[in-house]
Amino acid sequence: MSLVVESISKRFGPVLALDAASFTAEPGRIFGLLGANGAGKTTCMRIVLDILRADSGSVTWQGRTNWDLPRHTWGYLPEERGLYTKMRVIDVLRFFASLYGVPPARATVLVEEWLERFRVPDYRDRKVEELSKGNQQKIQFIAAILHDPDVLIMDEPFTGLDPVNVGLLKEAFLAMRDAGKTLIFSTHQMETVEELCESIAILDGGRVVVSGTVRDVKRAMGRRVVRLALEGDGTADGGVLAADAGWVTELPGVRLAQRGLATSEFSVAHGTDPARILDAAMARGARVTHFEIADPSLEEVFIEHVGRRAVDEREHHLAGTAGADR
Amino acid sequence: MRNLFPNAWHVARREYLIRVRSRTFVVLTVLLAIIALGLTIAPVALRALGNDRPLQVAVLVEADDLASDPLPLLSAALNGAAGAAGATRAELSQVADPAATESRVRNGDLDGLLTIERSDDGGLAFTYLTDAASTSPSTLAIRQAASALTIDDRLGSAGIDPADRGAIFAPPAFEARAVDPDAAAREEGGDYATRASLGTVLVVLIFMAILTYGNWIAASVAEEKSNRVMELLITAASPQQLLVGKVLGAGAAGLTQYAVMLVVGFIGLQLQGQIGRIVFGDAAAAAPGGGLTLPLLLVFGACFVGGFLVYAALYAAAGSLVSRVEEVQQMSGPIIVIAMLGYFAAIFGGTTSPNATWLSVMSFVPFFAPYLIPLRMAYDTITPLEIVAALAALALGAVLALWLASRIYAAGVLLYGQRPSLRALWRAARVAR
Repeated sequence: MSLVVESISKRFGPVLALDAASFTAEPGRIFGLLGANGAGKTTCMRIVLDILRADSGSVTWQGRTNWDLPRHTWGYLPEERGLYTKMRVIDVLRFFASLYGVPPARATVLVEEWLERFRVPDYRDRKVEELSKGNQQKIQFIAAILHDPDVLIMDEPFTGLDPVNVGLLKEAFLAMRDAGKTLIFSTHQMETVEELCESIAILDGGRVVVSGTVRDVKRAMGRRVVRLALEGDGTADGGVLAADAGWVTELPGVRLAQRGLATSEFSVAHGTDPARILDAAMARGARVTHFEIADPSLEEVFIEHVGRRAVDEREHHLAGTAGADR
Repeated sequence: MRNLFPNAWHVARREYLIRVRSRTFVVLTVLLAIIALGLTIAPVALRALGNDRPLQVAVLVEADDLASDPLPLLSAALNGAAGAAGATRAELSQVADPAATESRVRNGDLDGLLTIERSDDGGLAFTYLTDAASTSPSTLAIRQAASALTIDDRLGSAGIDPADRGAIFAPPAFEARAVDPDAAAREEGGDYATRASLGTVLVVLIFMAILTYGNWIAASVAEEKSNRVMELLITAASPQQLLVGKVLGAGAAGLTQYAVMLVVGFIGLQLQGQIGRIVFGDAAAAAPGGGLTLPLLLVFGACFVGGFLVYAALYAAAGSLVSRVEEVQQMSGPIIVIAMLGYFAAIFGGTTSPNATWLSVMSFVPFFAPYLIPLRMAYDTITPLEIVAALAALALGAVLALWLASRIYAAGVLLYGQRPSLRALWRAARVAR
């Protein structure tokens, strides 16, 4: 049975943070909650966790309303990182584990396992304040999962991590999914979602503009993407497609999505066979070095539904520095 | 409030350990212990320094025609009749050499030199040489003794027989009849001053605990909010568990500090007696803490706990409404005002009219009961039934305060930035879990 979010609304004074938002996250899968800053992702998570109450709507997990579920059902990694900085890592983690009913001896074993997995076993007896922000974030992740929750909810879990730690965290995600856990995380980094998530919901202005499996969401766009490279592309003087792609775009339902140096991308409308581009290239006598039919990227899906990129340059910069500051 | 434990214990345990292990706590506790020790052995120390010894007064009799030796009469006037109870206030010695005695007064060997002369009009004239102020208690006492001697002398000049003069100085029959004999009997039943000081000490102890430890709690909640650990906490535990745990943990730390202070103070009192016996050959005058009975101690304990819960809950709620630790002081202002109101009512009411009706009424208000129940008990102006009823009201108040505070807390902990309006707070508190 899945996590079902059914038409939840939440108003803060004049701001409607969530407007009848609905989506379903399948158990044992990784679910992505996408949206720009202020789209309502955090509010939505807090309502699912029942630390905020919605004005209307309901949240159920395996058929039970979230009010009735025991706290240890959930693991939560908030966007705002925070721990008791004056305490030792092991003490902080044992404390949070104790709140979820994990006995100290068991918690100690688990903490040591996880520190080992994150390649920081010597942090066990260090004070939290001595750790870098990225490492504190790993400790906080451990705090969220020590009690082995069924559903793990994470708000921007990758923000502020270096590539090595991003890799470690992704591995941990996949291991938990393989252990049958349900993971939900928010982000505005589309590449990560492509890599990890089976299903998504895109939030914009408090509304769910689209949700479902990544495949369905992409298919629902009604068009496909063709990436094409011809001999001569990718050379210093540009390439044949860069010089002239007009013969492709004059095909009905085809437009140039991205003119690349090595590979160019074309958007093909529903009803047009993408193979016609290949046929046209052959007919011109061009030598095809790369031809690929694909679904549109999530980035494109997002732009299509929200009308702008999930991360513009300014937001990206802010998210990066904010993560490092905390 | 379902499932309050064990999570409230876990929260309390963390709070307690973090607090008692912190350097600030250790330093403050040691400091308070030193102060407690100092205050309790101060009387004996002062006595050793000589501030408490009897007045040393030399008497120079220039008038050579006095009917009898003036010293016994002066001494009786100063110290009461010979053989009567009470400490000696002055020791008199007759001297003959004015110049030598004057220099002894000047270098502090003696407290004063009283010279008795016969003036030209036939009366007695007194000169008192001292470095004490002319209105000081010692000078006034000497002056009173001098007038007694003058009257005796005038009676002699009037031809009254010395034997009859004794009868003239005998105390009159004087009876003070109280409007309320019961109250008067109560006041005479024990040492009224001891009761008053005991009542004051209890009130001050509760007041200090509320302000100090209450502020701890508010600051600690605000800190959890500002360093963002709150969101993890509120996910793991319910607001009630967090609030009750915080109050219990900080309260236990506060009690630890108080216990150290009281134990050291108690040892100090014992030492005071010992030192007194060794140095002066007798125990120190009055043992403070007299009038402290077991029932009073138990009721005081209940009031301490109940009062602490009421105020600590409100402090926690105040802490949950601010975003930074610096704003705590401002937010807890109204709580401090209420706490002060009760404190001053108790101190003022205790010293002026411990059996006033308004004090009885205030004893049933949970905010003020912690001060007024022990105070009125110390003054013995409260009936056992009233004590039970007032304690019940206090307990109810504590539960209500904890409930209300946890609603505010649940709504407040996730509100950052601007301080919420009362309306917004009410709405948030109503829907919070």
